[in-house]
Amino acid sequence: MRRYLSVAVGPLLFVAAAAVVALLPRFMGEFRLLEFTLVAIYVIALLGLNILTGYSGQISLGHGAFVGVGAYVAALLSLGRPGLELYMLDPPSWIPIGNGMTPVFTIPIAALVTGVIGFLIGIPALRLGGVSLALATLALAVSFPILMKRFSEVTGGGGGLNLNLPETPFGWDISTRHWLYYEAWVTAGILFLAAWLLVRGRIGRAWRAIRDGEVAATSSGVNPALYKTFAFGVSSAYAGAAGALFAIETAYVNPDTFPVSLSILLLASAVIGGLGSLAGALFGALLYEFLPIYSQEPPIFSFHFADQAPSVVFGVFLIVIMLLLPGGVAGLLRTLAGAVRTGRFRRRSETSELA
Amino acid sequence: MKRVLLVTLVLGAALTVALPGAFARTEATQATPGITSKSIKIGGTFPYSGPVSSYSPIPEGMKTYFRFVNARKGPDGKRGIYGRKIDFKTYDDAYNPGQTVQLTNKLVLEDKVFAVVGSLGTEQNLAIRPLLNQRKVPQVLVSTGASYWGTQYKQFPWTSGWQTDYIAEGRMYARWILANAARQKIAIFYQNDDYGKDYLNGIKQGLGSKTNLIVSELSYEVTDTSYASQIARQRATSADTWILVTTAGTPTVRALATAKRLGWKPDQIIINSVAATDGVMAAAVASVGQDYVNGAVSTGYLKNNTNPKYKNDPAIRSYRRIMSKYAPPGGVNIRNSFYYYGVAKAYDFVKLMYAAGKNPTRSSLMAATAKMNWVNPYALAGVKIKTSKADRFPIDQGKVVRYNNGSWSEISALYKGR
Repeated sequence: MRRYLSVAVGPLLFVAAAAVVALLPRFMGEFRLLEFTLVAIYVIALLGLNILTGYSGQISLGHGAFVGVGAYVAALLSLGRPGLELYMLDPPSWIPIGNGMTPVFTIPIAALVTGVIGFLIGIPALRLGGVSLALATLALAVSFPILMKRFSEVTGGGGGLNLNLPETPFGWDISTRHWLYYEAWVTAGILFLAAWLLVRGRIGRAWRAIRDGEVAATSSGVNPALYKTFAFGVSSAYAGAAGALFAIETAYVNPDTFPVSLSILLLASAVIGGLGSLAGALFGALLYEFLPIYSQEPPIFSFHFADQAPSVVFGVFLIVIMLLLPGGVAGLLRTLAGAVRTGRFRRRSETSELA
Repeated sequence: MKRVLLVTLVLGAALTVALPGAFARTEATQATPGITSKSIKIGGTFPYSGPVSSYSPIPEGMKTYFRFVNARKGPDGKRGIYGRKIDFKTYDDAYNPGQTVQLTNKLVLEDKVFAVVGSLGTEQNLAIRPLLNQRKVPQVLVSTGASYWGTQYKQFPWTSGWQTDYIAEGRMYARWILANAARQKIAIFYQNDDYGKDYLNGIKQGLGSKTNLIVSELSYEVTDTSYASQIARQRATSADTWILVTTAGTPTVRALATAKRLGWKPDQIIINSVAATDGVMAAAVASVGQDYVNGAVSTGYLKNNTNPKYKNDPAIRSYRRIMSKYAPPGGVNIRNSFYYYGVAKAYDFVKLMYAAGKNPTRSSLMAATAKMNWVNPYALAGVKIKTSKADRFPIDQGKVVRYNNGSWSEISALYKGR
């Protein structure tokens, strides 16, 4: 019985979380809905980053660029050539942009395209590890906005692209805000399950083996090259899906929407949430969404922070968490759960199974 | 064990898919959001942090002026506007359009502001324009000089501009060059984006049949770290008039420093008004020396609050008085012309609110933006704040100004750019 319980605790938590997510809109106004829609989007991006960094042990400082790619793919596909004509844009005809499509269908395509790009970038990344890989991916983040400005005949350059404002598709009778919310959370739920299936099985074991010791993994018959590039691809696909949702939600893409700081903040949020834990993505996303906004006007203290406050608060928080909780929020919860189970308080390493 | 998993998965999926329909609600709408008998709540987004945080005095200047309006007795004998005090809520978007969208949604949905006033940045305003227009929320007095705000009022009737647009300013430079410069070989160095191209178009339109005066037009990317190759090529054309269409801050200073290092001093350096702010000029002086930048030319539509000529001007005195009495505590540099810009803009918002009537609505505010007609004391003498059904450029006049030892003096007649 006890064994069954401990196996079922993950799925039960997932169902509980799904129920909370499904019921939350009852208690929220339009703006809260929007905020939680963004949380779902960040969950997706952080899940992907966690697969790459937390599970396969490769550090990416360039995930913002993948999010950007997904966003641009969704923007171009949903606008289509007729939509782009309004901007006097005429992308080369070999780019299969189409004539506009229902935004929700752009999400899988954006994920696929970004995934393929990520996979390809994962190949040279194989030769790099640790700090060099971090720098190479940082270069990706730095060059992304520049590339988007450079190819302005496709991307609209610095002026960006206004998507059609979101609306509820298929004639469904729910408000657009609600539609966006469920669209994002259902996608997040599906991708969470997919990630969970991935990391708990053979592939996840291989990733963790590589992360913890590449030589040892190789000697046990794991092909590091294959699994590492695969992790890159999967992780980018997640970022692409998040980017597509972000573009649909914001209805505007522009190179400056995906600055270097986005990549860095994403990695920071993944670390705060807890690397090597899928649930950590949720905590990271909550922090990513709410910390910067509420550090602009803290709900408890009624004083005005200095100009640079959002990033300063975020930074201080990151330092404190890393000092106190090396395993992030998810690690803390695991420790607490362990304490409840065994009746003893014991700090476990940050790298363990799904919380 | 497998069965447990299967059941939970199916349950979870069913929950997430089935529940949306059940709980969708529509929001109740308020008659005129943000307006009560005692207050007018408005909002805006500004880059308090990030690459162009030097603009952050603008919203503070606006707030300071609103504090003054809230405290003084107006023409109707009441404090504020018809007894309503202005509450201006601002957020830091770090110049990231994605954040602008999110924070503007916050202003509209959560803070329930009456209007979005003065939000800064061309892309930032482009990003929020559709959603504000869809919700019929006024987006007024935007802090950008792109020409869209004045030309696309039919598609976006809830959006309106303020300052001289870049095309109009480009035309003014052209007009001044045609009227004044003896030797005329123009080199244009511009930022490769909509902003830079607006200026370029304006200059060409202004030159009309004389576009052949332009001997070189080269661009740079915002992200470039060196302009040496472009500027060396422009130097080789031996142009006598060099027009710098750069953005405030590093690009402007770098372009000037590069030219000086290459030993090039064209007779006339023209810096567009966005780049020619006091802070940037001070940095330029620090980098290339007073002599090099003295004589540089720009345009202005506001009085230059640091010009000794205006020391006793009633508007500048009122600006100093308001700033010293109502500015936030903690060292405000009132010489910074961005505070002045904010005050001038806030003045026009107050005028607009009076024009919107005793019981203002969002539509009455927009109606007021289409028939502005007054003089802003903070603007240059003769500049009219004027719009009509067919003309949606509130400010379209300006003068060419010349820099000398820390301040700008007017050297041309009043030009009309539109």
